[in-house]
Amino acid sequence: MEHAVDDLFSDALRRLLADECTPAVVRSIERGGTRDKLWGSLEDSGFLNAMLSEERGGAGLSLAASFPLFELCGAHAVPVPLAETIVARALLAAAGLPAPSGSMTLEAAALAIAKPGENNVDVLLLSACLYAAQLAGALQTTFNLTLNYANERQQFGRPIGKFQAIQHQLSQMAEHVFAARMAAQLGCQARLTRLSPEAVAVAKARTSEAAQEVASMAHAIHGAIGFTEEYDLQLYTRRLYAWRRAAGSEGYWHEILGRALLARQGRTIDLLREVSNIE
Amino acid sequence: MTSLTSLVPTAIPQEDEALREGVRAFLKEATAKIPAQLRARSWYGFDAAFSRELARRGLLGLTLPKEYGGGGRSAYARYVLSEELLNAGAPVGAHWIADRQSAPLILKYGTEAQKQFYLPRICRAEAFFCIGMSEPNAGSDLASVRTRATRNQDGWLLNGQKIWTSHAHNCQYMIALVRTSGAPMDRQKGLSQVIVDLSLPGVKVRPITDLTGDAHFCEVFFHNVQLNEDALIGAEGHGWEQVTSELAFERSGPERLFSSIVLFDEWLAFLRADKNPSPHSARLAGRIAANLAPLRAMSIALTGKLARGESPVVEAALVKDLGTTLEQETPALIADDLGSRVSRSLPPDLLSTLDYLTEVAPSFSLRGGTREILRGMVARGLGLR
Repeated sequence: MEHAVDDLFSDALRRLLADECTPAVVRSIERGGTRDKLWGSLEDSGFLNAMLSEERGGAGLSLAASFPLFELCGAHAVPVPLAETIVARALLAAAGLPAPSGSMTLEAAALAIAKPGENNVDVLLLSACLYAAQLAGALQTTFNLTLNYANERQQFGRPIGKFQAIQHQLSQMAEHVFAARMAAQLGCQARLTRLSPEAVAVAKARTSEAAQEVASMAHAIHGAIGFTEEYDLQLYTRRLYAWRRAAGSEGYWHEILGRALLARQGRTIDLLREVSNIE
Repeated sequence: MTSLTSLVPTAIPQEDEALREGVRAFLKEATAKIPAQLRARSWYGFDAAFSRELARRGLLGLTLPKEYGGGGRSAYARYVLSEELLNAGAPVGAHWIADRQSAPLILKYGTEAQKQFYLPRICRAEAFFCIGMSEPNAGSDLASVRTRATRNQDGWLLNGQKIWTSHAHNCQYMIALVRTSGAPMDRQKGLSQVIVDLSLPGVKVRPITDLTGDAHFCEVFFHNVQLNEDALIGAEGHGWEQVTSELAFERSGPERLFSSIVLFDEWLAFLRADKNPSPHSARLAGRIAANLAPLRAMSIALTGKLARGESPVVEAALVKDLGTTLEQETPALIADDLGSRVSRSLPPDLLSTLDYLTEVAPSFSLRGGTREILRGMVARGLGLR
């Protein structure tokens, strides 16, 4: 039942973004155009309060239930801090503070709720978790564009997707997209204020690793057209590169995870079990 | 994503997870004296006595109905058991194939008489099975098998040859994919599965020594082997569909993720003893774990799909390709790490474990369908073929 409700939310956001956050809108905002119209639509839609409790006018979504929303931010290359603001507002609400209107960074939210002598919000961890979910979405769109292109582009008298060399690259891309999406979901299985550093390390490392591989193969299959400004692929692959580097690349999180593994005794399987624990 | 369904993290039910503790305690004792280099053989390690001990504890045929001697448990319970066996490096090779795919196949397609004969024997570790698929001229091109079962008045007369059949020399039975009508150019049509009692006259089994010195796979020759009428399993001419559905079970299980786990854990233990592992080693450890974690979650999600009666053939192919790639990378990465310590002496058991896995790792992406075949299946699932 809860799953069906989640689907309802993500379907609604998907429709909104398909209408209001088109590639043309993304390009316009990237060139310095106004973001007011897009932001206004998002503000009106209520999605910015998705994680607030129902008493506070939200939908009471957990982090795990919000994953599809963050993923959509990546899938549509949303050029405004939608995922970040959803979480920033949730942090404020959890601390009993009112959320200001407009966008908000995680840093600002963490600062607002910080108390001396207490374990404060780990902004890097939270940020990595959100980038991982958005990477999962951008990976999916990059893959979809490439699959469509391989089916349409004709060379040697047939679609290039009929060639085994291209098919195997697309299969590898699909594998990365699948594994990365599962990893990103594992990162979101905890409560917002009790993220598992190991699960987030898995999420951000695996999505970042996939980002580089998938972007490379997408461009290889697209050829020259993929390098043009007017073709949409660049909207997603540029984000794959940027988000891979943001909030810790795979190398950073591999080391964090490796140190956690080495600091414990016993077998790896128990770390894997903790990381894939569903609350 | 086209016809591929996305996978969501799936919790193992509490009652199935509860199996883990007891199994682990038993395995801790049972494998305590086995050196890592032997535990690394995992589901290639053959130990009939160990399989019988598992049977005595009610751990074989865990998912089979109780009326046939099984445990009547869910696919998740079997997942937990398999995961513990593999991570402990228990010598499960004797019963592995019978438990994983022969028994479910017999349960699904067998006659009542076949179920009553074979399933209790499998659960008691008295009947071990091997898979007769590959032939000298039918490897990846499995549909071109030439071994033929011809109907006669007593049942079926079997002639031909299988090869690369793991543990055929130690098993009582083979489920073989054979031609019962038509010719090799008829491809998937005219293929059937038969259960061959390997003690019958006319069956000759010859082990083949592999590059590590082990002899687990075999050539099996059939010369006028007379099979009874009830050797046929499932419907005549439906062998290809039966084999295909069997492969979904074979491809997405934990044995496609954990073939190098004994080495990985031994290497971690070595690093821990070092007190101050280099950032390079820590990164390597994290890289392997970061790839294992989502694969495990995917394997569990697919266990759920299989348990619900779905047939996620393409998703299983995808998990196997990713899993075996990681299983192969692991010894290569660890060899580089250990090989960079030129001025140190290293634990001999760790090095033997590494050498063994380095040598057998290429087989991980051959057995159960090659990488190229799997990528072709994923491409078909994407609508490219």
